[in-house]
Amino acid sequence: MRDRLTQGSFRSSLLAVLAAIAVTVILLGFGSPSWSSAMRAFFVQPLTNRFYLGNMLSSMGYLLIAALGIVIAFRCGLYNLGGEGQIFVGALAGTLAGLALPGLPGIFGTLLVLIVASATGALLGGLSGLFRRLWGAPELITSYLLSAALIPAAEYLIVGPANDPTRSLLATARLSRAYWLPRFFAPSDLNLSFAIAIALAGIVYLMMFYTVRGYELRIFGLNEEFATYSGIHPTTYTLGAMGLSGGLHGLTGGLMVAGTYHAAISGFSGGIGWSAIAVALVGRLHPLGAIVSALLFAYLDAGTKASMLHTEFTFELGTVIQAVILLLVTASFVVSRRSS
Amino acid sequence: MIVNSLELMVPILIAALGGLLTERAGVLNIGLEGLILVGAFAAIVGANLTGSLLMGAVFGTLAGLALSALYSVACIELRSNIFVAGLATNLLAAGIVPTVSALLYGTRGVVRLAVPVSAQRIAGVSVMVPLAVILAAALHVFLFETPYGIRLRATGGNPQALVARALSPDRYRRFAMLCSGLFAGGAGAAVALRLGVYLPNISAGRGWIALVVIFLGMRHPLGILAGAFVFAVFESFAAAAQGFTEVPGTLLLGLPYLITLAAMVVYSALGRHARIER
Repeated sequence: MRDRLTQGSFRSSLLAVLAAIAVTVILLGFGSPSWSSAMRAFFVQPLTNRFYLGNMLSSMGYLLIAALGIVIAFRCGLYNLGGEGQIFVGALAGTLAGLALPGLPGIFGTLLVLIVASATGALLGGLSGLFRRLWGAPELITSYLLSAALIPAAEYLIVGPANDPTRSLLATARLSRAYWLPRFFAPSDLNLSFAIAIALAGIVYLMMFYTVRGYELRIFGLNEEFATYSGIHPTTYTLGAMGLSGGLHGLTGGLMVAGTYHAAISGFSGGIGWSAIAVALVGRLHPLGAIVSALLFAYLDAGTKASMLHTEFTFELGTVIQAVILLLVTASFVVSRRSS
Repeated sequence: MIVNSLELMVPILIAALGGLLTERAGVLNIGLEGLILVGAFAAIVGANLTGSLLMGAVFGTLAGLALSALYSVACIELRSNIFVAGLATNLLAAGIVPTVSALLYGTRGVVRLAVPVSAQRIAGVSVMVPLAVILAAALHVFLFETPYGIRLRATGGNPQALVARALSPDRYRRFAMLCSGLFAGGAGAAVALRLGVYLPNISAGRGWIALVVIFLGMRHPLGILAGAFVFAVFESFAAAAQGFTEVPGTLLLGLPYLITLAAMVVYSALGRHARIER
């Protein structure tokens, strides 16, 4: 069973997304008294006013950065399945650092939050890379387990010791206002993160396809043994790619705090780590493809949330969409498969 | 304590045995967690519908089979990446179960068993314990003494040998994946029917624990028996510790994952034989 991550075609992406939309339409049909209004909410509402549109683009930015983290890891042949934890724990660490030092001049405060968040994510990702490099422990198991072990700890801190009792939310205290990222599409929460995300996609693209490191990373991902015999240093890429991947997830968490939530809240990551994997794969593990698929995903996500208000019961529609896409996105719909 | 550990061992053991079949067929099955989850939910639904615990177990097993059928179609017929499809299996379970639960019971949370739990006991131990041990022994015989089992192992170890004999590795992989669905579904049923209730996230990492137990047990049914028992002893210690320590419950939710992670890392560090087929 060979890896088929970078293989397969754009057609698989398209079919996966169409299948997910079909499943959504069917589920909404079951769950809503007025199917047409739910449909309208799903497909049209995210585009109807500044608030929805801005929020959609805002979540697109966060998804994109996390997806770039997945692109780097998967292109290097490493499965980072700890995104959820890296985002959540990174966000919490960034928030706590920002709360501990509330008096910095604005830009330094923001940088502090972002750097601590990224470093925390990088540490978590890098740890799995280290276990893989040192002892061959499969990173897809260790990254998932580390994330799953730390999310309850983060939840505990948010509802317990780090909780702000003056707010009725399950959240930490808010960062000082000076640390918030500027917003530029009121009343939505679209903020500077979006521009950062697009810029990062460009940087990852250049790094991946126009630098020696990027070339070596892709070679390493295609064939680890060949790469090692060719003199590509395995430690740089197992540790580096996992660290970078975790760092981008941590940065996502930090930006979500500085840009949107201004605090760490219970259930922070809410599946965005899993969505990022789907986004990266639908974008065929290409940094620029990820921009398109992040937009598509943010649209589906906004539609899901809008249509939920038109259903009788709430259900995990977002999770089902992720699942259907992941089930099909790496499939190859080629007839000649029997030849192997 | 020992009785309790033996009973806690059952789901981990059954799930790990299912995972062993796929592992031996060259598929690292990260979908076990989701398969256990649907098994647990379907077992409660089945028991409530039919009024019979046995039928509950049958429902749970079949639900695991159904989900693994989807998983195997994605992996084998459509040639999806096994890890990505495994992830999809887990997410599908996490999405479908609350949806069906909301449709059937109007709740996304706790579903109680309407049938009284009356475990058949032999010498004070649930009848499931000897059954699970017999399953381990049977799997040992199957894998090492039957031609089908030997071919299944070759699927993971040396698929070219099968191709050279005009046998299809896909056939054995499909069989292994469907069996792992049956087993993991049964494991989920064992968890839920023992508790007499379905809770959100009832699988609580057992799929991942089972995955690690496969390696700790040296990819061998009898080794897995020992590994599953060790984890069960630990689980019952942790449950007992919850009663007399001040450690908050939220924090303890992460503990099984942390222990499993430690076990995986230590095992890899000591053995260096955790070469994962990719």
